[in-house]
Amino acid sequence: MNRLNALLFGAALTLSATAQAHHGWSGYDAGQTLTLTGEVAESGYMHPHGYVKLRTPDKTWTVVLAPPSRMERRGLPREALAVGATVTVVGYPHRDTADELRAERITAAGNTVELR
Amino acid sequence: MPDPAGPALLVWLEATAPAAAMREALWLYPAVEVVHILGFVLLVGAAAMFDLRLLGVARGLDLNALARFLLPWSRTGLAVVVPSGLLLFSAHATEMIENPAFQLKLALILAAGLNAWWFHRGVMRGAAAWGGATPRRARLAAGTSLLLWVGVIACGRLLAYL
Repeated sequence: MNRLNALLFGAALTLSATAQAHHGWSGYDAGQTLTLTGEVAESGYMHPHGYVKLRTPDKTWTVVLAPPSRMERRGLPREALAVGATVTVVGYPHRDTADELRAERITAAGNTVELR
Repeated sequence: MPDPAGPALLVWLEATAPAAAMREALWLYPAVEVVHILGFVLLVGAAAMFDLRLLGVARGLDLNALARFLLPWSRTGLAVVVPSGLLLFSAHATEMIENPAFQLKLALILAAGLNAWWFHRGVMRGAAAWGGATPRRARLAAGTSLLLWVGVIACGRLLAYL
């Protein structure tokens, strides 16, 4: 029993080192900063993270944003991410998931908002 | 939100009004997170103090009196942590169930529950006769409990990073 538990516990800790990170910043390649401008094809103003599907000339990115409470406080209301809006994001691509980007900041309706 | 796909029950859960409110309301999600944290502070905090006593810390404190004080707090914590956890889960149930940290967390919770059940139904029944030292089986259960709960908390935090 005890040995099994030690094993499970070890597995829990090892996961943090080996598995792909998804929502924390560590899963994104900060060495590669991308600036993307496109049209909002879909957006979610939701917890724990908002997102937009951003249609750019070459492909559609899933851009992970900040919690909506933070975006609201920093002056990026739900309406700024309406479908059809043109926005620019600066961020880092996911290390494993192609087409996913974590945005450091977003410019929408002429207003630039820091997301971290 | 990406199209929800997965077990019908989880797709349904995500579509319920409370789950939608968890995603959409500006401060509900963080508020429920606070409640969830308070719940496991009580549940794990009280359990860990009792485990330490079983392992030989603070032997001067009467074991049965300590059990009567701490264990009801653990049960209260459980009553707080389960509904708040269900709400957090409901917001992205289909995505969450795929998360390896979440799967491991559920397995560890099950193991911690079985360990506590086994201990309180069996080993602890003879506590009146223990005197000062706790038997090896009780120390084993206490150490197991500590490790499992640390694992549960670690997985709970890691699921945001996987």
